[in-house]
Formats: sequence, structure tokens, C-alpha cells
Amino acid sequence: MTGSWGRRLVGCAAIGGFVLLFAPIAVIVVFSFNDPVGRYNLVWQRFTLDNWLHPFERDELTSAVLFSLRIAAGASVVAGVLGTLVALALVRHRFRGGSLVDLLLVLPLTTPEIVMGSSLALLFLDLGVERGPLTILLAHSMFCLSFVALTVKARLRGLDWTLEDAAMDLGASPWRTFRTVTFPMVVPGVVAAMLLSFSLSMDDVIITFFVSGEGDSTFPKYVYGSFQRELAPQVHVLSTAMLVGSLGLLALSVVWQRRRSTVRPGRA
Amino acid sequence: MSTRVGGRRLTPYLLVGPGVAWLGVFFLVPLWNLFVMSLSTKRSRYDFDPAFRWDWSNYGDVFGTYGTQLGRSFLFAGVATLACLVIGYPMAYWVAVHGGRFRAALIGLVIVPFFTSFLLRTISWTVLLADDGVIVRASRASGVLALLRAFGWINGDRLLDTPVAVVGGLTYNFLPFMVLPLYVSLEKIDIRLLDACGDLYASGWSAFRRVVLPLSLPGVFAGSLLTFIPATGDFVNAYFLGGTSSRMIGNVVQDRFLVQLDQPGAAAISFLLMLVITAAVLVYARVLGTEEMTS
Amino acid sequence: MSLQTSRRRFLGGLAAVAAGGVFAPSLLTACGNDDVGGRRLRVATWPIYIDVEPEGEATLDLFERATGIRVDWNEDINDNLEYFAKIQPTLSAGKAIRSDIIMPTFWMVPRLADLGWLEPLPLDAIPNAKNLLPGLQRPTWDPEGRWSLPWQTGTTGIAYNRKATGGKEIRSIDDLFHPDLAGKVGFLTEMRDTLGLLMLADGKNPQTASVADAERAIERLRKAKADGQIRKFTGNDYQDELAKGSFAACVAWSGDVAQLALENPDLAYVVPEEGGMKWADAMVIPKGTTDLDAVAKFMDFVYDPTNAARITAAVQYISPVQGVREALRAAGGDGAALADSTALFPDAATEKRLYTFRSLSEDEESRLSEAFSKLTGS
Repeated sequence: MTGSWGRRLVGCAAIGGFVLLFAPIAVIVVFSFNDPVGRYNLVWQRFTLDNWLHPFERDELTSAVLFSLRIAAGASVVAGVLGTLVALALVRHRFRGGSLVDLLLVLPLTTPEIVMGSSLALLFLDLGVERGPLTILLAHSMFCLSFVALTVKARLRGLDWTLEDAAMDLGASPWRTFRTVTFPMVVPGVVAAMLLSFSLSMDDVIITFFVSGEGDSTFPKYVYGSFQRELAPQVHVLSTAMLVGSLGLLALSVVWQRRRSTVRPGRA
Repeated sequence: MSTRVGGRRLTPYLLVGPGVAWLGVFFLVPLWNLFVMSLSTKRSRYDFDPAFRWDWSNYGDVFGTYGTQLGRSFLFAGVATLACLVIGYPMAYWVAVHGGRFRAALIGLVIVPFFTSFLLRTISWTVLLADDGVIVRASRASGVLALLRAFGWINGDRLLDTPVAVVGGLTYNFLPFMVLPLYVSLEKIDIRLLDACGDLYASGWSAFRRVVLPLSLPGVFAGSLLTFIPATGDFVNAYFLGGTSSRMIGNVVQDRFLVQLDQPGAAAISFLLMLVITAAVLVYARVLGTEEMTS
Repeated sequence: MSLQTSRRRFLGGLAAVAAGGVFAPSLLTACGNDDVGGRRLRVATWPIYIDVEPEGEATLDLFERATGIRVDWNEDINDNLEYFAKIQPTLSAGKAIRSDIIMPTFWMVPRLADLGWLEPLPLDAIPNAKNLLPGLQRPTWDPEGRWSLPWQTGTTGIAYNRKATGGKEIRSIDDLFHPDLAGKVGFLTEMRDTLGLLMLADGKNPQTASVADAERAIERLRKAKADGQIRKFTGNDYQDELAKGSFAACVAWSGDVAQLALENPDLAYVVPEEGGMKWADAMVIPKGTTDLDAVAKFMDFVYDPTNAARITAAVQYISPVQGVREALRAAGGDGAALADSTALFPDAATEKRLYTFRSLSEDEESRLSEAFSKLTGS
């Protein structure tokens, strides 16, 4: 197999993969412009701008989306902070119990969500804690913590920590070293991990179901529950809006990365 | 590459403390609670305070009664993981090796689907796989459906509400979990290594097999884990895309908990599932080699 | 190095506090908006179960105007057992749930009552309770009528999509097992509805049948499943499959299909020849509800025939209130046509073919539920 033939094959396969990845996304976007017959927005009828003109028609849906965003923001901050601290400890220090901590981090990933959710529900009941936004936040932070810690850890391992020593040797104070060398090195990994946990929290259904109070509705919980009776086009509209928003953020971060990489090192 | 700081004895513990405490309270304690529950017996159907009694019978029932679903879950998850590997590797490779300046953006694109609801993406597959939709019609015309029928994976003229759809859904939903770790490990490979292979007259395939593949194994390992494990416990795909013979162990646990109100039984199934997964992971790690992969 | 790590920690700690400070208030406001002043009545019910138009003139608006009580209408219930699991932790601990009135399906009532989770109805304060249809007074699931008042009732029968059946009209439960419909048939995960119909097809009366009869029905279903006759077991979402034509025919609930058929004339509903099931969703008061007066006022309001008629016209289910038919005719307009609908007001011949599933003891429920779940869940 010659190089270019192989390359073409890989290229095709890769493009195929990307197409696969975005096919349902295309469906979501396209169907946000659909004027459905009946209660389920699942069969294409005809094009309309109506849904986009009235995206907030379904109060419950809108408040569910806002609620989800708030929870996700809180959970990713908590998980981001705690997880990064853990990752730093694991990568930069050698201490007893390190492998136990590793194991502890992996355990939530091997536990079915329904187990984590129901066991948390039992816990809250036993402690007399009322289920509500707080319990949802606590639960989401928990499972995001593992993801953040593992992601940041993987990222930190690849970093060149000798740069820190170099900076210090060159006379930079610890604070300056941190500000100009360590922090910039660590931040991209942390931000990526926090973004990951943001989306994990936004998407969670099962755990949320168990730890939320009767009236609390997150976006996935709303979709799952309402699916028994309908699938409103506003769901597609708001999803598309969130998608566009995150694409925008992605574009911004790419631009930011470019600008940072054109700054020559040493000029802090 | 990383320097280890022997330094201050207390620091690592202080760093790790909050996170571990969080996980301890919100993960370990409830799990322990659940373990106790799995060894308890209910006096009646509506007994909400089962008595702890070292009752192992809940565990005994699991393989016997739910062996099918358990096996099916591993089968589906396994096939899906393999499919993710086959589809995801070219994607990760292409972006890592040929992506050039656009690497970050391209890999960012892989994450983008996460910013829509997992539920909604799965539901959208019911549109794509609709009985009269393009995909099904093409499959029918090209004989793919007949092939699947010959294998006994579908019976009838449709893709939706079949095991094939469920596996497809699992593959789709967990694809990014495979691509990202693969990309991370492939990206680290120095391009010059590949050029060096070329200079030494190694063919593209040979270079791949001997250089790239081994170096990417950590990514393969991580990706497979991140795909296989959640896939076994999933029930959303089976719920929306499956028919009458596609229920997975996640659906069983849900049923045990909610419909049968059999918390001890559900707890037992969950723990067994966790054990089997952990064992499978350890075997996999052994097969793939070094301990460094369990990072 | 140590300074650095402690700096990191410090920053981390700051960030955590900042995050807490930023998000806590907004999260807290997410919690309780309840005490805005004025009386409130919180109702947990099924989706699309009340009239919402015209804006400002719907039943709940009129109620608020008449009594000053604002109703929080929460469509929290999608499945009886799911909802049961939701409220179980709170109620079994002796605490009150958020809702003042909940509307489970009839068979849940004795279960909730036996568990001590219900408040008895303040019947003295509900004079209109006398308007309850005689056929629904003192039902098997609430023999003393202490705990519940039906909200809406309906029938379970077969819905079919003419386009998907190839123009064929479905008349009996046995039709669902016809090879022409292989792979296009749906059954409900609601055990009593599915098994009830199958027992009727077998010539058994669900009001008096034995567990063995039910198990035979399960066996028949299992065979059909193995043969590939059944496409899926669904909850309420059968409507989507039916409208799309994925189901050519399925077990369905009357009001749903009536609403669907308005938009899709290919859809039809029939109470099968062998018989259909009757059911009711009942208003009950969870234990711990404090404002029983508000509850009484609400129940009294909706048991007034005029109000009941308005609700029925919107949801297209069978009203448990007497005098609704006359009220519909008197109101005129679209409603008057409904007064003649046999779906909403079954004639005597249909009534004879409608059965209620009998009460099950805890043992029986366990046995059947396990077996049925195994069927639908694998």
C-alpha cells in the first residue's frame, strides 16, 4: 500500500466519521425550522420561521434550560477547582495513597449512573436533606470531579515542568513564575476539563432524576419527561441556539490560542 | 518529563483533601449504603426500610435471571467500542497527523456534538433511521438489510427498534470518548518519527504498524475504557432505539428500582456489574501491557 | 516550590469561594419562589389534562377569580410507577410532598391508602361530589369513597393507522396478532391495560379473573414477541409511533387518539369486540397537605357540570361528572358536537363491553408485575 493511497483512504474514513458525528446535529438544526403536524417534531412537514420567532413559548422548557445552565456552571466550577487540585497533587507529588486516589477517581466512571443516583437519593433522605437545586449541584460536581481530575492529570503529565525551574533559575520570583509559566501551562487543560464537565452536567438525566426535587426540571429531564406526550420544536430551537453559542466560544478560543502562540516566549 | 516534587509532606494531602472528601461523601458513602442494601431483604413489596441480613441471595439471582441482559449489554458495548475504534482511529489520526494549523479547531469539532443534548441526539436518530427514510431505503436497496437479516440481527424490514439501531446509537454517542484520547496520544507523536520511517524506506503501512500503533496504545486503552464502561450501563439508547429484544442491564436496574421496587435486587445487580467491568478492565490492561496506561 | 503550590491552593480556594458566592444566590432563587403571597394550590397531574385556552378564561383562571386561590398545575406524572418512586422517599419518611392534590391512576389509590400516605377527602366541604356518576361511586378501588374523586376517566382499546394497515379496519384484539401486521404492533407497558385486553381476547373477565389467566395472557404475548409480531412496548409515546405509521395498530387510550385524530384523519380508535378496559385517574390528597379548604374548593369547582364540561371539551376524555352532556349542549359551539360523541359518552352497548381490572393483593401484584416486566423489559 503506497503512502498516498493509504492517506486517501484514511482521509475518506475520517471525513465519513465527521459526517456521522454531525448527522443528528444536522437533523436537530433542520428540524428547528419544521412546522410539525401533531405533537412530535419528528417528521418533516414544511419550513417555517415560527419556532425561531417564538423560542420561549414553552415556559417550562425555557426555565429548564436556564436552570440547567446555572447548575452546569456551578458544577463545573466546583469540579474544576477540586479536580485540578487533585490532579496537581497526583502529578507533581509522590505521596502515600496516590494510587488509592487514582482508584477513587476511576470508580465513579465504572459505576452505572442509576446506582450513583439512587444511592445519593437514599443518602439525602437519611440525612434529612431536602432534594432540590443544591442536591443536584452536589451530585453533578461529584461525577464531574473524576472527569476533570483525569483530564487535567493527562494534560499535566505532558507538560514540561523544567520550565518552572528554568524560570526560577533566571531569577523570577515564585509568584512571577506561577503567573507567567505555570498558570498558562495549566490553564488550557483546566479550561478544557471544565468545558467537558459543563457539557456532562448539562446532559445528565439519570442522576438528576433521582436527586432533584419534585418541581426541579433540568433540560434533559424535561425532554425525557415530556417525550411521553410531545416533542416541541422549541426544544430543537434552544438546542441549536446552545450549539451555535458553543461553536462561537470554540471559534473565540481558537483565535485566542493563535494570538497567544504568536507571542514569543520570554516576553511576559 | 515531569519533575516530581518530594518537598513538603503535607502539601499533596492538602491538595487532594477537598476532592477526596467530596468523592468520599457523595460517592463512597452512598455506595456503601447501597452495598448494605444489596445484602438486605424486604419484608414485603412496600417495605422501604429493608433489614440488613447478610442475605447473598440477591446476588445469586442476578446471573440466573438477568444473564441475558448482562451478556447482551457487554456484547452491545463491546461491538460499539470496536466500531468506535474503527471509525474513530482514522478521524483522530487524520486530525493529528494531517490537521496542521487546524488541529485544535478540528478536534474541537469533535466535542461540539456534546453541546447538544444526548437525549435529543439519540431521538434524532429515530428520524434518520425512520422506516421510510433515506438510510433505510438505501440499506434495503443495497442489500444491507438482507445481510443483517441473514445474521439474525434484525427481523423485518426496518432498522429502528432493533438491536442494530441500539448498537449504532451507542457507537454514535460514545464516538467522541474514543476519538479524544486517541487524538491526545497521537498528537504527541513526533512527526519526524514518521518522516524518519519514510527515509528508511518503510512503507506507510509498516510505519503505522511499527511506530504509530504502539505509541497510540495508551490512547486506545483510555478510549476503549471511556467508551465501553458507560456503554454497558446505558439505557437511553435501548429505550429510544430498541425494540423488544434490545433491553440492556441498565434498563433492568431501572425496572428493578422503579417498577418492582426491589432496591436490594437492583443494588446487587449494580455491584455485580461494577465488579465484572473492573475485572474486564484489569484483563484488558494486562493484555495491552505496561502499567503506565492506567494513568 | 512550596510557595508555588500554596499559591495555587490559595487561588483555588479563592476561586471556590468566589464561585460559591456568585452562584449560591442564583441557585437559591431557583429554589423557592413559592411564597409570593396569596393562597396556592399545587396539583401534580398528567400532561395535557386540562383546558388552557382561551388565555385568561380557562378553568384555572376562573377558579382563581372565584376563590382567590392560584393553582400550580404541574404535569409531573408520566408514569404511575415512576411517580410512585418519586414520592416514595418523602412520604415513607412521614414528610409531606410538594403537591396538595395528585392524580394517580385508580389502581394506585388502594396502594397509597394502605401505606397511610393519603388524607381522607373533606367530603363535607365538597357538595358537588354528589355529581359523581353513579357508576363510579364506591368503586372497587375505593369502596368507601373516602380517598378519591375521579378526575377523568377513559377507555383502553385499540388505535390504528389506516394508512399503515393498508386500509384495513381493526375490530378485535385478535386482529393485533394477524400476520399481516407483523412487526407493526404495539402494546402498552401499563400492565393492567395490556393484560386486561388479552384476557378479554381469551374470554376471561378481568374483573374476576385469576392470576393464572393473567399469566396465560403473558405467555401469549411472549410468543408474539418471539415471533416478531410486536414492534415495541411503549408508554404514552405510542402516539408518535402511531402517527408515523411505525405502529399499524396498538393498544391505546381513548382521549389521546381523539385528540390525535383531529389532526390526522387516518387514525381511528375502537373499543374491541371482545371488550375494552375502563380506567380512571383519581384526585387524592397526599398526607401532610395543610390547606384542605383550598383542596375542597378546587374539587367542588371542577365537579360543577359547567366547569367539568369545559375541561372535557378540551381533553376529550370521559367526564366522571353528571350533567356534562347537557352542559356541553347548552354551551353550544364546538362543544355541542362533542355531546353526541360516543367516545366521550359511550352508549349502553359499548358500556357493556367495558371492564375494570380487579384489585390485586400484594402477592399477586408482585407475581404479575415481575412476569410482565420480564416480558416488556427483555
